[in-house]
Amino acid sequence: MASVALKSFTGLRQSSPENHHSSKSLFSNPLPSTQLHYRRLNVLAGKSSPKITGRNLRVAIIGGGPAGGAAAETLAKGGIETILIERKLDNAKPCGGAIPLCMVGEFDLPLDIIDRRVTKMKMISPSNVAVDIGRTLKPHEYIGMVRREVLDCYLRDRAAAAGATVINGLFVKMDKPTDKYAPYVIHYNEYDGKVGSVGKKVTAEVDAVIGADGANSRVAKSIDAGDYEYAIAFQERIKIPDDKMQYYENLAEMYVGDDVSPDFYGWVFPKCDHVAVGTGTVTHKPDIKKFQLATRLRARDKILGGKIIRVEAHPIPEHPRPRRLADRVALVGDAAGYVTKCSGEGIYFAAKSGRMCAEAIVEGSANGTRMVDEADLRNYLEKWDKTYWPTYKVLDILQKVFYRSNPAREAFVEMCADEYVQKMTFDSYLYKRVVPGNPLEDLKLAVNTIGSLVRANALRKEMAKI
Amino acid sequence: MTSSMAFISSTPTNLQSFSSSSKTHFPINPFIILKPQRLNLVSVKATENGSGAAIAVEEKKDSDEGGNGAPVADDVAELGVKFEDPKWVSGTWDLNQFQKGGATDWDAVIDAEVKRRKWLEDNPESSNNDFPVVFDTSIVPWWAWIKRFHLPEVERLNGRAAMVGFFMAYFVDSLTGIGLVDQMGNFFCKTLLFVAVAGVLLIRKNEDIETLKKLIDETTFYDKQWQATWQDEKKE
Repeated sequence: MASVALKSFTGLRQSSPENHHSSKSLFSNPLPSTQLHYRRLNVLAGKSSPKITGRNLRVAIIGGGPAGGAAAETLAKGGIETILIERKLDNAKPCGGAIPLCMVGEFDLPLDIIDRRVTKMKMISPSNVAVDIGRTLKPHEYIGMVRREVLDCYLRDRAAAAGATVINGLFVKMDKPTDKYAPYVIHYNEYDGKVGSVGKKVTAEVDAVIGADGANSRVAKSIDAGDYEYAIAFQERIKIPDDKMQYYENLAEMYVGDDVSPDFYGWVFPKCDHVAVGTGTVTHKPDIKKFQLATRLRARDKILGGKIIRVEAHPIPEHPRPRRLADRVALVGDAAGYVTKCSGEGIYFAAKSGRMCAEAIVEGSANGTRMVDEADLRNYLEKWDKTYWPTYKVLDILQKVFYRSNPAREAFVEMCADEYVQKMTFDSYLYKRVVPGNPLEDLKLAVNTIGSLVRANALRKEMAKI
Repeated sequence: MTSSMAFISSTPTNLQSFSSSSKTHFPINPFIILKPQRLNLVSVKATENGSGAAIAVEEKKDSDEGGNGAPVADDVAELGVKFEDPKWVSGTWDLNQFQKGGATDWDAVIDAEVKRRKWLEDNPESSNNDFPVVFDTSIVPWWAWIKRFHLPEVERLNGRAAMVGFFMAYFVDSLTGIGLVDQMGNFFCKTLLFVAVAGVLLIRKNEDIETLKKLIDETTFYDKQWQATWQDEKKE
């Protein structure tokens, strides 16, 4: 028991090697030509790209959310000339706002940007069977609830401090290069701070573009990345009386049921001083208001006396776009579609993919001295798919099995009462690794799952007879 | 843990407190539970929050007194009757009330739970911390489930398998002259037997064929979506 605690504790303390960028070359200082060019994961035979003389590699990042901010910081630290274009610097994104524990360590987040540490969750089945999960969490483990405007701002400021140029502007379009190594020309409207102004048109030449502009990505459109299915997440921020807020001090709730959502879940997440009550759906988008009412009904006793202070909605991608990469343009974060199924988690994966893409560019360009090409960017895709595919697949299977129907959801909640399930769930969520676990326990779990599903479906068949 | 909760002797739960604040009173008696359809006409369902459409409102959420943005006056119609049953005690079924001839009548427990779930599906209720639901279907022993659900289905499937098997044995015998015992020694016959058994198990209704095909597609669909970006690379 103690060794397990130690392992996870050091995992938190130890900063991953990606955090430290040892080489910090100055912008105008080209490295000697004899420097070797190591690539860890070779997809194609490495083409030798030309050295750039007189300047460093220029990369534009469109979108300044977690993905853009993380990418900008990594690029800037790697010696690359970076511009980050964000259209609304104080944007309070509609978002669940939950970040896993590993993000705090991997991205060196200061603890004061975390408003709340959620250590308990309540899962509520269609027939209101309520199960508390979180018993297996260790004292230092939690799910962090953040305000997106605070987190995004922090990451951008850090990128700026590392040398990136943050521009308040709206990306309009991008001209593809005429030549193999010719630059991309990006067109954007730069805002000058005056309220209501359209901004002045600016163009910039860059060698590579990272599209981090979210679910409705314009960069994705300009590279014909294709569409994805998306869920609509609808959320109401409700200020509830203090005594009711006490209950949500460090607890989040998940409501499942056909009334709340046919293919997702309804939630009550605590924020800094209010709760966010919401739900989402992929297949029944026109009924989202009905689902929201049902969610509020299910949580009614706990949010009684609350006042709705904000209503918001946003799309959540369900799967990656058909093309995440084209020539020297790569998509990261929501723009690429890196949101998990089942839980709908996206912040960590956005930031991590931004960082990974930036790392691939830094490496492929030897810290900004050589041009990058598509093969270098594909390294990022390959590394990403290899590292996180198990996580995505497992969550997809969970969603397919347990969000199918009310009996499946009843079984889901029943299974959550099991301690082994809780431990595995939290381990994989907090640290983003799919650990095999104890085979005997896994077998017991499989048997119990099948048992729960069979029982719930049997009850459902009887229900149909009434 | 759940079984210990079930054995708590039933104390009169203050069911009346549920509707203490309601302006209209519905006669609360167990017979309502048995006919949920009839009650649907009486209970008010939550409806769309149209602009200004005043619905019979119970506990209204605070409307904008503070002028904080434009908070909507929340109408949550909730005049539906909550689920009540004398055997439903402290968020679970009181097994003491299901005794029949000295032992627990599990069939009745299953029936009661079915009714409760059906009721809640038609009339979703707010989940309340003071009255948590802790019922777990695993308190009903495995043999009760098998006796009630598995055995009739198994009887049907075995009957089908027997009919198919008898006919196939007769048919093969009439064609080839090989008797039943010798048929079993042949590899091809063994394969046919396997296919017949699998068919009887997997395909029980006409719709199952479509369902199986869809399932196979489903399991690989997500993988295909992830692999899509690599199709480009191969073309180059």
